[in-house]
Amino acid sequence: MLNAIESYLSSGVTPGEAGSQLWAAIYILVITLGVSLAVICMNWLERKILAHMQIRLGPMRVGPHGLLQPFADALKLLIKEDIIPTNADKLVFLTAPVVVTMTAFTTFLVVPFGRAHAVTDMNIGVLYMLGISSLGVLGIIMAGWASNSNYPLMGSLRSSAQMVSYEIAMGLAIVCAVLMTSLQTGTGTLSMIGIVEAQQAQGMWFIFKFFPLGFIAFVVFAIAMVAETNRAPFDLPEAESELVAGFHTEYSGFRWSLFFLAEYAAMLAVSSIAVTLWLGGWLRPFPNALSGPAWTLAFSLVPGLSFLVMAAGTFLGTIRMPKIAQMRVQMIGLGVFGALLGLVGLFLLLPGVRERVQDVYWFVAKVAVFMYLYIWYRGTFPRYRFDQLMKVGWKVLLPIGLGVLILTAVVGLRQELLAAMVGGPR
Amino acid sequence: MSLAPLLRKVFLVDLVKGMSVTFHNQSEKGRITEQYPLERPVVFERYRGQPRLNVNPDTGESLCIVCNLCALACPEQLIVVKGERNPVTKRKEVVTWTYDVSRCMFCGLCEEACSTDALELTQDYEMALFSRDGMVLDQAALEQGQEPVRYAK
Repeated sequence: MLNAIESYLSSGVTPGEAGSQLWAAIYILVITLGVSLAVICMNWLERKILAHMQIRLGPMRVGPHGLLQPFADALKLLIKEDIIPTNADKLVFLTAPVVVTMTAFTTFLVVPFGRAHAVTDMNIGVLYMLGISSLGVLGIIMAGWASNSNYPLMGSLRSSAQMVSYEIAMGLAIVCAVLMTSLQTGTGTLSMIGIVEAQQAQGMWFIFKFFPLGFIAFVVFAIAMVAETNRAPFDLPEAESELVAGFHTEYSGFRWSLFFLAEYAAMLAVSSIAVTLWLGGWLRPFPNALSGPAWTLAFSLVPGLSFLVMAAGTFLGTIRMPKIAQMRVQMIGLGVFGALLGLVGLFLLLPGVRERVQDVYWFVAKVAVFMYLYIWYRGTFPRYRFDQLMKVGWKVLLPIGLGVLILTAVVGLRQELLAAMVGGPR
Repeated sequence: MSLAPLLRKVFLVDLVKGMSVTFHNQSEKGRITEQYPLERPVVFERYRGQPRLNVNPDTGESLCIVCNLCALACPEQLIVVKGERNPVTKRKEVVTWTYDVSRCMFCGLCEEACSTDALELTQDYEMALFSRDGMVLDQAALEQGQEPVRYAK
């Protein structure tokens, strides 16, 4: 038993490659739990960071610095009355949140958290992710239609129009990255793991490839992905001031929380596409330039150390808490939280663990940057008007995407031809 | 379109500026949110809040001499003072003293009119009640003053 686990863990392949259904099930379980946990963290972080950007404090009462707020929210949502409008189309109304959540979570099948840390490695990985995540809009339209109410219908129509127009720019940007994978090898790949390995083989992240072409494609994708997930400043489908809550106006309780979960899971999914395609996926910074055992050791220590730094920050916060009797419990709670962070940090420093976890760490760190950007956008930008949104999508992003695609093809072809003439390694 | 605005648009200068503003707002410096029940705000000295009838701290006697000036000064006529002369000390003593806070607009004219500093509008501000029942204060309530509710959690 232990032997089998050990032999699998040391083999360094994904469950899909190993053909092991058991390990695939375990991976799916872990990823589902991890994504849910990330959504919980995002909930707290978003409220806190957004509050700080608006010079507020954010949640402070439930637990130290509001750390337990997401759990209180979840409890409240679970015990809330579940209302189904009388005139709603019941079957569709009930299936819509399931569709949205399922599509959001299914995309994580192909996300490569590390060389061996993906459920499976499809040869059409990117295509699969795009296809599944665009299916989410079906759930949104179902929700809007089945509610039999004006605001949800308006919200879902807006959502579908928006998704259709931004999907194209997004696709063009992705094709740029896929084109880049075909350099040197001659054949490109759509596999998520293959794309990251191509970046390693070519010695640079695709965001820096053919500068500024890769960067422009990345920016196009980064804008389109915010629109794709209906987040500020493109949150027209759920524009609070105009449409109450958009497509989920009629939903309450647990079904509403499924929509919430799906929205954040979708954000994580598109961020992981961006990280995989342009930011080198699970690769640590400078895997080729700074290779060698010393650098490998140094970089493998980073995950544990970063957790220790977070723990130190928490302890600093504990010390700086006001010294009054009412804050005693909160102070102890924050201290315990810091201790937990420190323990996680120490655990990640163990030699056996840090070898396997560092891939996941770098991937998650890169995704976290995107998550922060999402919050940052929301704290800064006002919402676009609908015609402006369409204008940005069709008149700006689409031509730029096309242009970058053509230029990438031309520059790539030129490089290949030059390499062929010199007779260098293809 | 001239060149400068175009370049500003292409390089998203204004958006980046806005993002730098929100980023710098995250420091703790500007945050002025008050954690109210935990930290109580200090109101100004001349704030006019819950009324109080002062007593002589040495003897515990009321400072009120039933001169009725406060009742006369009150524009809302919410103060009712009745007293009768004590035949022994030859001084007027309070029989009924009521103050209807529900009608009070905290103008402070009664406080100004008081010749012995007996009536005072204090700096206590937690005066909300669930009904109007407890809003007519009698002498005992006025002399005791308000006990602020302590937040315990």
